Amino acid sequence: MRPFQFVRADDAATAVQTVTANPKAKFLAGGTNLVDLMKLGVERPDLLVDLTRLPFDSVDVEADGTVRIGTNVRNSDLAAHPAVRNGLPLLSQALLAGASGQLRNMATVGGNLLQRTRCVYFQDVTKPCNKRQPGSGCPARQGDHRNLAILGASEACIATHPSDMAVALAALDARVAVSGPDGDRETPLAELHALPGEHPEQETTLRHGELITGIAVPPLAYAERSAYRKVRDRASYAFAVASVAAALDVEDGVVRDVRLAFGAVAPKPWRAHAAEDALRGRPATAASFRAAAEAELAAAEPLRDNAFKVPLITNVVVRTLSDLAGETS
Amino acid sequence: MTVSTEVRNRTAGGIGESPVRPDGTFKVTGQFAYSSDLWMDGMLWGATLRSPHPRARITSIDVGPALKLAGVSAVLTHDDVPGEKVYGLEIADQPVLAFDEVRYQGEPVVIVAADHPETARRAAALVVVDYEVVEPVTDPREAVGHPDWKPVHDEPGERTAMSRDRAPVHPHGNIVRHQRIRFGDPDAVTADVVVQGDYEVGMQDQAFLGPESGLAVPADDGGVDLYVATQWLHVDRRQMSGALALPEEKIRLTLAGVGGAFGAREDLSMQVHACMLALRTGRPVKMVYSREESFFGHVHRHPALMRYEHGADRDGRLVYVRAHILLDGGAYTSSTPAVVGNASTLGVGPYDVPNVGMDCWGVYTNNPPCGAMRGFGAVQAAFGYESQMDKLAAAVGLSPVEIRTLNAVSEGSILPTGQRIDSPAPVAELMHRLDAMPLPGSVDQDIRLLPGGVSNTTHGEGVRRGVGYAVGIKNVGFSEGFDDYSTARVRIELVGDEPSVLVHTAAVEVGQGLVTVQAQIARSELGVERVTVAAADTQVGSGGSTSASRQTYVTGGAVRAGCAAVRSSLFERAAARYGPGEFRLVAGKVESLVDGVVGDIASLLLDGPVEHTVQWRHRPTQPLDEATGRGNAHVQWAFCAHRAVVDVDVELGLIRVVELACVQDVGKAMNPDAVLGQIHGGSAQGLGLAVMEEVQVVDGKLRNPSFTDYLMPTIMDMPPMRVEVLELADPHSPYGLRGVGEPPTISSTPAIVAAVRAASGVDLKRVPIRPEHLVAAALCH
Amino acid sequence: MQLHVNGRLHELALDNRTTLLDALREHLGLTGSKKGCDHGQCGACTVLVDGRRINSCLALAVTLDGVEIRTIEGLSDDGALHPVQQAFLDRDGFQCGYCTPGQICSAVGMLDEFDQGWPSAVTTGGQPAALDAGEVRERMSGNLCRCGAYMNIVPAILDVADAAAGRSSA
Repeated sequence: MRPFQFVRADDAATAVQTVTANPKAKFLAGGTNLVDLMKLGVERPDLLVDLTRLPFDSVDVEADGTVRIGTNVRNSDLAAHPAVRNGLPLLSQALLAGASGQLRNMATVGGNLLQRTRCVYFQDVTKPCNKRQPGSGCPARQGDHRNLAILGASEACIATHPSDMAVALAALDARVAVSGPDGDRETPLAELHALPGEHPEQETTLRHGELITGIAVPPLAYAERSAYRKVRDRASYAFAVASVAAALDVEDGVVRDVRLAFGAVAPKPWRAHAAEDALRGRPATAASFRAAAEAELAAAEPLRDNAFKVPLITNVVVRTLSDLAGETS
Repeated sequence: MTVSTEVRNRTAGGIGESPVRPDGTFKVTGQFAYSSDLWMDGMLWGATLRSPHPRARITSIDVGPALKLAGVSAVLTHDDVPGEKVYGLEIADQPVLAFDEVRYQGEPVVIVAADHPETARRAAALVVVDYEVVEPVTDPREAVGHPDWKPVHDEPGERTAMSRDRAPVHPHGNIVRHQRIRFGDPDAVTADVVVQGDYEVGMQDQAFLGPESGLAVPADDGGVDLYVATQWLHVDRRQMSGALALPEEKIRLTLAGVGGAFGAREDLSMQVHACMLALRTGRPVKMVYSREESFFGHVHRHPALMRYEHGADRDGRLVYVRAHILLDGGAYTSSTPAVVGNASTLGVGPYDVPNVGMDCWGVYTNNPPCGAMRGFGAVQAAFGYESQMDKLAAAVGLSPVEIRTLNAVSEGSILPTGQRIDSPAPVAELMHRLDAMPLPGSVDQDIRLLPGGVSNTTHGEGVRRGVGYAVGIKNVGFSEGFDDYSTARVRIELVGDEPSVLVHTAAVEVGQGLVTVQAQIARSELGVERVTVAAADTQVGSGGSTSASRQTYVTGGAVRAGCAAVRSSLFERAAARYGPGEFRLVAGKVESLVDGVVGDIASLLLDGPVEHTVQWRHRPTQPLDEATGRGNAHVQWAFCAHRAVVDVDVELGLIRVVELACVQDVGKAMNPDAVLGQIHGGSAQGLGLAVMEEVQVVDGKLRNPSFTDYLMPTIMDMPPMRVEVLELADPHSPYGLRGVGEPPTISSTPAIVAAVRAASGVDLKRVPIRPEHLVAAALCH
Repeated sequence: MQLHVNGRLHELALDNRTTLLDALREHLGLTGSKKGCDHGQCGACTVLVDGRRINSCLALAVTLDGVEIRTIEGLSDDGALHPVQQAFLDRDGFQCGYCTPGQICSAVGMLDEFDQGWPSAVTTGGQPAALDAGEVRERMSGNLCRCGAYMNIVPAILDVADAAAGRSSA
């Protein structure tokens, strides 16, 4: 690990100023991803600004039903919070499907959103990787890509975003509160993560020094009819191979509205708009659900070893929506 | 469990009981000192620079930049190896530090000692090694004779004292060992029903949680003391003696706490390196591998390619088995000859087969070296032959239980090596007992019990239940003529006013409970409850390896023999004191068989302690004939059978092992808790191989040297188990016991795969199974 | 900086890079917490920070001044084993023992989480009345045991949970 300076932030403005002033400074929250990557030599900050004592640690439900979540809320606290556990089952389930009890006690909301890909080439500094070292190349297309993206990837990068929580938040149209050198702003979660294109090193639309201070989850009338489903290589304590966050509103057997997002198949939490569009107004049947998934996956670009994710994610979609619709396929 | 424990004695904590582990309290309080916990004032930290290439010629090594780094005390290369430059368990062909050529990714090239581990690592990274990269041999098929094959080794390795007599050395080829088994007339025979299959086993890692580590301390006599986690102190010492050019008596090893072994500590890792650095710097040197380094720092389970053909009559009775088994040994020999011996001699499984034609090869490639892992050779073969037995059952219309009981060996059966099984072989009974166990109920919407477990992926849709059976056979102890023995020093004396026994062996406790069992034996044999087991070290003769399921048998036999010698001396004292007669020692008392209790054991010790050191061997075995495989190669066999019940989500490719049932004959349950522990643990590792565990090697390079990418079962993946333990005494072994540790690893894998096949209908030919194998196959339906 | 460990205050001069695990093992001589992977992938380093279980290998020590750290060495009370330690001993919930300090610290934290009503991924509906084997398995899945002592760890933890709840687990 490279030597670095450490400061604890006492207020957000100072934290933002400190990091803005130093291009090699990073914010530190739970550390579960950043410290890991520093050990691997992937992250090499000069300065860490510890955010964990900043007062962004509450979950508040506003009058209109918006749930505001401070960036420092630990994953375990968020999953257990009654407003999330009862009101946003897909979010609670996604959090509890991730990592382990110990890691959920450390990991924060902001850190979870900004965690880096598990692509083995990104994690290994002896290998080329366009995300870690722009222009160095991407061995994954020819090499190990079994866990990598089938949607939204580019020639330069096929990495996947590893978060479970973010997939649920994408389905919920969450907004991200950001504090930066030019003041505070709010951005849709959908616009937080960038697709790789020719610049996979630019993972988010945050500018250096901008700090996530929290998340706002707007009310969704049918959020209680929601679920997060995750396929992984062992029963627990493993990253997703494919996952689906879904909420479904059905009336008289017809889909009135639906929210659908995919995890572990794209460089960002993948909101499945095409599938949603294909589904509204259609009968809530397995056939509709399958057609909707296929509509979304028409754009899929599977590779040699990850082609199975296409039928897999399709099956998870059908399974999840069928269950929410109260019928089995 | 069913254990019919015969009451042999009244001394508490003796054999047949499950006393609390003597090291248990230290382990639950964090006080047990593992090899990575050792500390000494003024000690340095070692680090290793390893080859990034699977194959390359070393054109130069410049250690200058590393030596200039502040805090660095030594930077050593092959030039600094004091003695033999190569070592090995069976054949000395593995460089202490690479010279001329590196043959696998991760091969040690340079070692460094510095005042801080980070400094040592940085210094190692500063060493400049120029490599001329050579295209590696990575396909074991290519290694044995593809037109393009290239030799991995130009020169033969040297045989060591441990070499099995028949381990052939091919001076200019890639074949480590080719063992043929020819039994009956395998070439000419035909059969009514023939089934064939190709099977593949991936490379499994032992993945012990406590990485390789140790502390080397230079001694005043020019020698060195090493505190280390290993499986066999004396064979480490023998190899170190050659490399360090020191007589064995100047190298003293003491066992430090071992954080799991499972075969991976049978070969040397950091032992010679730490001692070289300590001797060079004159300071203690500690080396601890990181998890990533550990994946490069020890041998793995041999990947296997297998082709089987089984012929049977219309009733399902086996007529012949023809098989080819190809084991990828990687860059150096390690235990490959013994793995070939096991895979070939046990390659048809625990079945009566009148005609057998088997060819088993262990080959060199530029893949990571493979060697010992729990059940070696037998694990790979069992996946092949048990898959075949299910195919045969389907072909002749029998159930998996029927086909196995029909063909099961029994006491008196002749194995394909010509060796007669001369102790109980209750294979049919194992199957009947499994069959009689109740099946678990079907899933009732409790999602935890469904495939995907907590992943909340199914509420029952798409889930198919399957049941599979398998049985395995394993040799216990070292085979093929190896002089397999253990040494025990047993001392009885008064401590305070109480008789107290000290048992001292060099046999290694790795968590299996060996220290517990040694104390139990001493209690039962000497009638004394206060027994201490001394730390294992080289101050006593060799205990042999903690491997091959052999320690309770062989070191247990040595402790029993040592106790018998002590007892004889005590009886002489008893005769002198109480008059001639026959005595026994029970619960601190001396009993005359005629007069009952005549006195205290303590009173016999007033004349001073009694101590005896004995060497004990199991009955001899013979080497195998190279051309036919004939020979009484094994000392004992152990049998274990599993029934697996799985739920498979055929749409998502997820497998949930619902239950594992297991029946094993252990001869004598010396410590019933420890027996169960071995069955649980072995079954779990077999489960891992079945559904998730694989070291992925592509073009000679490891893809997944981490616990995020190399997955092993969590507590969520391990299902409830039903276990029955049989105790059919082996008349040739101490107490009638059979080795316990490996057999449950062997049959759990094929039982689980059989259950997944039954559930999914997919003809699975490879382990581990991954979701894509099932999802992709489901698409074709 | 100051580290409060097992009720004692330690004044330490640590490099910022030092993890809590390394601070414990190499600076305070508390080697009970184990380094199995150093990347949060095995759980052997689990300790309690303000009562919560975390992976000490991923926590930088410098971030932890002012909080109360409890390790395996701080669980037993004047020689009397903590109930979870005693249960692991009674149930033979380990073999090599390398994962055991982490397992025990994790179980202590987990039992407290359950008492606080935290759900797990396998919790369906409301809070279950009592820990059952399925809940224990999911909640303990962040602690790998390669010896496969899982079969005995589950009843060991249930023993403690049941004793605390005044039940006996036959």
